Amino acid sequence: MNYRIGIDIGGTFTDFAMLKGQELILHKNLSTPDDRSVGVIQGLERLAAMEGKSLTQLLEQVEAIIHGTTVADNTLIEMNGACTGLLTTAGFRDELELRRGFKEDIWDVRLAPPVPIIPRRRRLGVPERIRFDGSVHTPLDENAARSAIRRLAKQGVESVAICTLFCFTNPVHELRLAQLVAEEMPDAHISLSHQVLPKSPEFERVSTTAVNAYVGPRVSQYINRLSERLKESGYSRHLLLMQSNGGVMTQEYLAGSPIRVLSSGPAGGVIGSAAIGRAKGATELLCVDMGGTSYDVSVIRDGQAPAQSGWNWHHRYLVAVPMVQVETLGAGGGSICSAATGTLQVGPASAGAAPGPVCYGRGGKLPTVTDAMLVLGLLSDESEFAGGSFKLVREGVAEALQEHVAGPMKCSIEEAAFDCWRVVNANMTQAVRRLTAQKGSNPEDLTLLAYGGNGPVFAAIQAQELGIQRVLVPRTSPGFSATGALAAQPCIDEERSYIVAGTKADIQHIRQLWQELDQRAEHFLQQAGFSRQDMQCRYQLNLRYPGQNWSLTVEAATVQGAQDWSFAGDTLIAQMLERFHQLHFARYGHARDSEAPEITGVRLIASTEVPKPHFSGGFTAPQRAAVPAKQRRANLGHGFRATDIYRGADLVPGHSIAGPAIIEEAFTTIVVYPGWNARLDDAGDYELNRQPN
Amino acid sequence: MSFELNRRLVARRPALDTHATVDSVTASIVNGAFETICFEVATHLGRAASSAIINQSNERNASIIDAHGRLAGISVGIPQLLFVSPLAVRWGLENVRQDDWGPGDVFVGNDPDYGGGHLPDYTVYAPVFDGRGELVLIQALQAHQGDTGGKDPGGFSVDSTDIFGEGLGIPVLKLVHRGQPRRDVIDLLIRNNRFPSFAGDIAAMISAVQAGAVSLQALLTRYGVDLVKAAVNFNIDQTAQRFRQAVAQWPDGDYPADVWIDQDTAGNPDVHVRVTCRIAGDQLTVDMTGSDARPELVNVWNTFANTRGYAIAQLASMVDPAINKNEGLFYAVEMVIPEGSILQPPPNKPAALGAFHPAVEVGEAICIALSPILPERCAPQVYKLGMPNAVIGFNERGEMWMDQGVDVRASDASATQGLDGWGAMCAGLGNLILATAEDAESRFPVLNLAREMTTDTGGAGRWRGQPGTCNIKQVLEPVSAMTWMVSRKHPLRGLNGGDDAGPYSNRFLVGTEQEFEVQNALNAQLPAGAITRYQYGGGAGFESPLLRDPLAVREDVLDEYVSIEAARERYGVILTGSIEDFDLAVDVNKTEDLRRQRQTAKTWDSAR
Repeated sequence: MNYRIGIDIGGTFTDFAMLKGQELILHKNLSTPDDRSVGVIQGLERLAAMEGKSLTQLLEQVEAIIHGTTVADNTLIEMNGACTGLLTTAGFRDELELRRGFKEDIWDVRLAPPVPIIPRRRRLGVPERIRFDGSVHTPLDENAARSAIRRLAKQGVESVAICTLFCFTNPVHELRLAQLVAEEMPDAHISLSHQVLPKSPEFERVSTTAVNAYVGPRVSQYINRLSERLKESGYSRHLLLMQSNGGVMTQEYLAGSPIRVLSSGPAGGVIGSAAIGRAKGATELLCVDMGGTSYDVSVIRDGQAPAQSGWNWHHRYLVAVPMVQVETLGAGGGSICSAATGTLQVGPASAGAAPGPVCYGRGGKLPTVTDAMLVLGLLSDESEFAGGSFKLVREGVAEALQEHVAGPMKCSIEEAAFDCWRVVNANMTQAVRRLTAQKGSNPEDLTLLAYGGNGPVFAAIQAQELGIQRVLVPRTSPGFSATGALAAQPCIDEERSYIVAGTKADIQHIRQLWQELDQRAEHFLQQAGFSRQDMQCRYQLNLRYPGQNWSLTVEAATVQGAQDWSFAGDTLIAQMLERFHQLHFARYGHARDSEAPEITGVRLIASTEVPKPHFSGGFTAPQRAAVPAKQRRANLGHGFRATDIYRGADLVPGHSIAGPAIIEEAFTTIVVYPGWNARLDDAGDYELNRQPN
Repeated sequence: MSFELNRRLVARRPALDTHATVDSVTASIVNGAFETICFEVATHLGRAASSAIINQSNERNASIIDAHGRLAGISVGIPQLLFVSPLAVRWGLENVRQDDWGPGDVFVGNDPDYGGGHLPDYTVYAPVFDGRGELVLIQALQAHQGDTGGKDPGGFSVDSTDIFGEGLGIPVLKLVHRGQPRRDVIDLLIRNNRFPSFAGDIAAMISAVQAGAVSLQALLTRYGVDLVKAAVNFNIDQTAQRFRQAVAQWPDGDYPADVWIDQDTAGNPDVHVRVTCRIAGDQLTVDMTGSDARPELVNVWNTFANTRGYAIAQLASMVDPAINKNEGLFYAVEMVIPEGSILQPPPNKPAALGAFHPAVEVGEAICIALSPILPERCAPQVYKLGMPNAVIGFNERGEMWMDQGVDVRASDASATQGLDGWGAMCAGLGNLILATAEDAESRFPVLNLAREMTTDTGGAGRWRGQPGTCNIKQVLEPVSAMTWMVSRKHPLRGLNGGDDAGPYSNRFLVGTEQEFEVQNALNAQLPAGAITRYQYGGGAGFESPLLRDPLAVREDVLDEYVSIEAARERYGVILTGSIEDFDLAVDVNKTEDLRRQRQTAKTWDSAR
């Protein structure tokens, strides 16, 4: 039996989803922020033990380890990336700071500038110039380049971004600058813009390259360490990484542009949500992921979570690689509650995994949402927490709440805990409203899909406030981003610039570019252990009318397995121009028959199928009421009362539970609020429905 | 075409008739949906349009107008477009019967004497009706066109004495009748435009508002017409109320300010804008009495709709940014705009350049006027560059091309209390996405040689303005170039004791024996290889530079925003060490001494 393992490292927990045939096995343990790979190995050891194997025995049988990470995001949140410098075309060193004029809010004159990841003193111009057609207008001034590089070295620069104008049509100057940097600063990490984002225009490319350079050393170091640890432990295959576009690829492929893992942890959850939603006939989803530190919201339309490239602003920097869209709010189980200023605030500061909430018993002194949930009886110190990794403790919880919340607000500890619950709830509801209102959707039309360790605690009450009638909680909810990573496909999505009037386009040249992309994709996919036979190639062209700035992508052909260029014959270009007119009509309500479209780029999306978790739904199992395991005093919004507690392990498809009730799953707690009913579908996943009054 | 018409167009319009009531949450969802539809309409145009100023630089704005001609919602746009569309649409609404409005119609207007901005800003709009055929909402879209068929290419003329020299004025024209494009009419517009991309741009504008109208129709079906009307009324009232609540916090009084423009395009000097902001309780009156009305002025006539729009855009930046932008702002502010002045010109005045100046000076004057009482929010939402260097040529097929010069890098990002000026421009222009060298050079025979910030150009201050950039550009073919220089004599004004921004300068034929500095308006023929060099002034400073934290000055010097010399001369900060060695340090004692001397000299100066 072979295994596939998805791993998602969050701020507080590291989640594991192991696919064993059709069976999905979950595990979760605390993250180890000082060296995150430690937590990964701990978890893998635990999974091995569950299978009755040693770590080495297990890893020898693992086909793929797929990993989504927030290490790039954390670097940008904490602003502790590498000391970075920029070498660019002389006369253009301020593009990164000027941002094409963009400001996040045109009405807010109080908006402060972003923290500079490369301050002006480390942005240096070098005389050189390539023109739009790739010709050299001004040769690279190597002496000036060397002295600029020495100025960077003098400032302690560890990572150098190189971005020159029109390098994507001719990278000769960027490549030479990279050699010079390697000579002058042998230890420096180098990011080349024509590799990170080989397309125009310059601001998008320099910004993406600068962020890549800033987070790159940290990301590479982390991935290298993790992959070495895995190797030492007996894993001989490639570590696959979740990309921000929702696909997965190898470390080797991502080596030049580690920025492609930005936000890849949340992307896994969204891909998984779309898959599970489709299986349950819910294609319009509001996905909420509440973990220890953050609350991530995304909207799925038509069962799809499309990646968007271009104008993506992340942590106030433009990162133009394709990304699945997720909004993040600083609200999680670890969010700190304080009434020091006179009003109760919950988050965005978080206790994280260390020291964590007071009730983790790891030295935390500040009360958190998790502590409040313990006081409210939503969580318990009698049950195992996080799959039995540890138990919550009451010691110090009341004192912390008294000191930081109840005291200043002059109320009881239980009232204080309830207020914390209300505030974090309202924060999350407002965040959802802003997002859905921005998208013009009414939340009432959506199904809420909740995951993350803490998502299901709040899901139904949030749904109620938003007017949502139906809530889905996958049984795999707590490790859902890890499960999602298993649902993602290995995928390479690349393009090459080729700007030419459609009537003058050379099919031989287009074919040659496709071939280059194809060979590159095949190389990396084969290196990752996939065969050509399983490779699916979607060949595409970007087209636009003359003068347009945005292109539409038109499909040329999809080929499975061996290369087959029979589609790329002499008539292809004429067909593509016709398809472009049709697509333009469909998208923009008009076609311009009198204008001849131009080709702007040649694209390939290469992917391969892998075994995925099987998601399903339905309610064919006989319906019956479940039997509670016990009762506990808890406050589900209507004051404290004896509340039925169900054990997730006792529940099977067809079971139905009327609120108020609490379901304790191994890694999460599902709260069935008064007025709600929970039942298990045929896949063993929970569906909660609002009951008519 | 008269002051009387202007008065009629701006007359306050009543709420929509509805029996429904709406709660604040539903009203905000409808508002969010409006903003989203406007965003989608603007994006549709950006994606499909053919000219760079629209598809790269976002010089477009979508809005939703209600059946009474009130602004119900907008997308983010640029100040000169944001609040202008209602008046052009109101002229259309005066002619509903004559023009036989019905579902599926699309109209266009651009005439400054009929509610428009300036001729290049086309407003294209599509009405949306309920099931009984009653007009409910109008999807409007404005975008800047590259040509207007006037005597000079490009939509601007530096020496036109009336609007007819500037091109084709359109009070209202039906482009699509009941879903069927009127080809004859559209062909007429295309024929009267030099820009080959105009056909694509107008097609994209039409399809964009049609898409918006479909979305609005779906919204009406989803929520019901009565409820949507109630939401529009609710949101407008709430905006007016919230703006008034803000004004009520401001101290009562008269706050005047004067701003000057160097000269008009004919050389008449010191064109004057005067604004008095009068606060009484929760009522703000913006009184522009005293502004220039010299009949001999050329090209500095700002259209009436633009004057109102700029005033509101500046004011909206001086209150809580979360207040929804809609007709409620116009409800809350009284404006006195003297008829016949440069801020409400007599009919048939040229309008193209007036939409730059004195348009922005209206906002600047309001900002200066209110700066003593709103130090945290007084950042002028302006651009003081006259007009960019527009470069125009014709390709081998005789088709016009134009590099519109929306490649300004840094200009006019001023400081306000507690915050240095940053980025390329003021916040209000944050949606104008600047053109890039790579896109421009792929389209036009030009080469961008440099566009970096110039040390010491921004205004010094306790909080300093962002330095301005120096844009150096070479043309590779013979072209005609058009420009208009201001802000050499009257740069952007420093506030509350801060220094003014640097003066602008613009040099042509750089590096040749014929090199010269542009003094005023210019329409020049440039040979292949000619280089232009445009230095922007940067933002103005806030409060005395002698109060700036010396360590911040040291950082500024390391980053070459400020020179070592200027640190001493303008900030009174003495630094030791060198930039080359990155070991600059503040000489605390010498700095304190120098600042004390300066302070005394300054006090003595002002006492004299």
